[in-house]
Amino acid sequence: MVTSQISLKGASRIDFTGQLPDFTHYPAFSSDVISLIRKGVGSRVLVVIDVGWGFGKAVPHKVRDHMNLTGSNPLVGPNDSCGERFPSVNSVYLSDFLPELPAGVLAGLKPGVVPSADDLSLMRSLGADFYSYNLVPTMIVAAHAGFKVLGVVIPEGTDKAAIANLWTALTDIVED
Amino acid sequence: MVQTTAKSVEQAVEFLRQVSRDVPSAAIVLGSGVNVLEDLPEQASFSYEQVFGISPTIVGHAGSLSLGRVDGKLVTVLRGRFHLYEGHDWDVVTLPARVIKEWGVPCLYLTNAAGGLSPSFRVGDLMLLSGYRDHLSPQYKETGLLPALRSTASNSENELTKHLWQVGQRLAREDREFRPLQVGIYAGLLGPSYETLAEIEMLKRLKADAVGMSTVPELRAVERSKTRAAAISVITNVWSEDAAIDGHEEVLKAAKAASERLDRLFRAAIAG
Repeated sequence: MVTSQISLKGASRIDFTGQLPDFTHYPAFSSDVISLIRKGVGSRVLVVIDVGWGFGKAVPHKVRDHMNLTGSNPLVGPNDSCGERFPSVNSVYLSDFLPELPAGVLAGLKPGVVPSADDLSLMRSLGADFYSYNLVPTMIVAAHAGFKVLGVVIPEGTDKAAIANLWTALTDIVED
Repeated sequence: MVQTTAKSVEQAVEFLRQVSRDVPSAAIVLGSGVNVLEDLPEQASFSYEQVFGISPTIVGHAGSLSLGRVDGKLVTVLRGRFHLYEGHDWDVVTLPARVIKEWGVPCLYLTNAAGGLSPSFRVGDLMLLSGYRDHLSPQYKETGLLPALRSTASNSENELTKHLWQVGQRLAREDREFRPLQVGIYAGLLGPSYETLAEIEMLKRLKADAVGMSTVPELRAVERSKTRAAAISVITNVWSEDAAIDGHEEVLKAAKAASERLDRLFRAAIAG
């Protein structure tokens, strides 16, 4: 899962490409990646990008908060000593970066669940702005381990120019 | 999954029948930091290890079962519980409640520490559960929580909740220092991470009044049985945009302050 390890202006950085989806035989949530996060690899900021589905315009969205609707929590089980037994995850999100992106509430669904039109309407009425499958569990583990997270969801249908712009902006952040 | 050597219901009940000839008239399960009915006359105490074969792992959960008398009536007090977030499966989490049911105890009082969602709640309030939202059952590991969001709250009112409500009203009339009970819907979430502000807003829109990580399994375990259950949430923090939660220590502190009123409530309810 670790595709490269490079150094940018003295700061260690590890890029992860891909995640281990929770479809059948992997217990949950990018377990290899999560174990690396728990070891404190890299900086204390985690940038997580996920493909998702928005309820509005198909443009990249910054996550300002989330609802865990996966039915699971990656912290279930004996507590890992890297963090508290009952972590607060409210202050995990970085809000100062990428001001040009709309920020919203992410609903994290169980991978494989395809919401109906009624489900979408329900989620919207409960405060969600978009949904994805992999971001929320990763964010919970990151918060538990003391990381700040910049979470970005790219809704299906987002045009290539918007994705290219996002990548440029993210590269600028990492290299600053 | 936590590896346990939990006893079966039958084994645990057999142990209890050996240590007590009589069946208690009430059982009280105490959650995080809630301490009531201490130093009861004729008290005998056993560890959860002795009774259930396993012990709680969470700070604030002593893991002991006591037998004693309130107003001459035999009661049992269970200090601590098992949680799904510890990695226990449903059978272990519901084991104490199923043992109480199988033992033949007619009244089960459950307590928990909960976050207040209703804007009318204050820290230290006691909320009698009129119902609950189940957002933690193992079935949701397979389906995700969308089915839970589509469901309405389950009603948990019965003769025991009505009795507890009436006793609370009477105590409040007799003593102005005794805060009247609040009544509301409890949302049981899996945990162990605390709710996000977006989840708080979601639960408010679903008409939940308090949120915690327990109690729902026990209520479900005794439904449609001869054991009546009534649950009380100790409101240990009240959620708002401006109020950040300080963590488990805050929960324990607030729970301790409300324990005195809860002790009076239970003693009065058991007495009659």
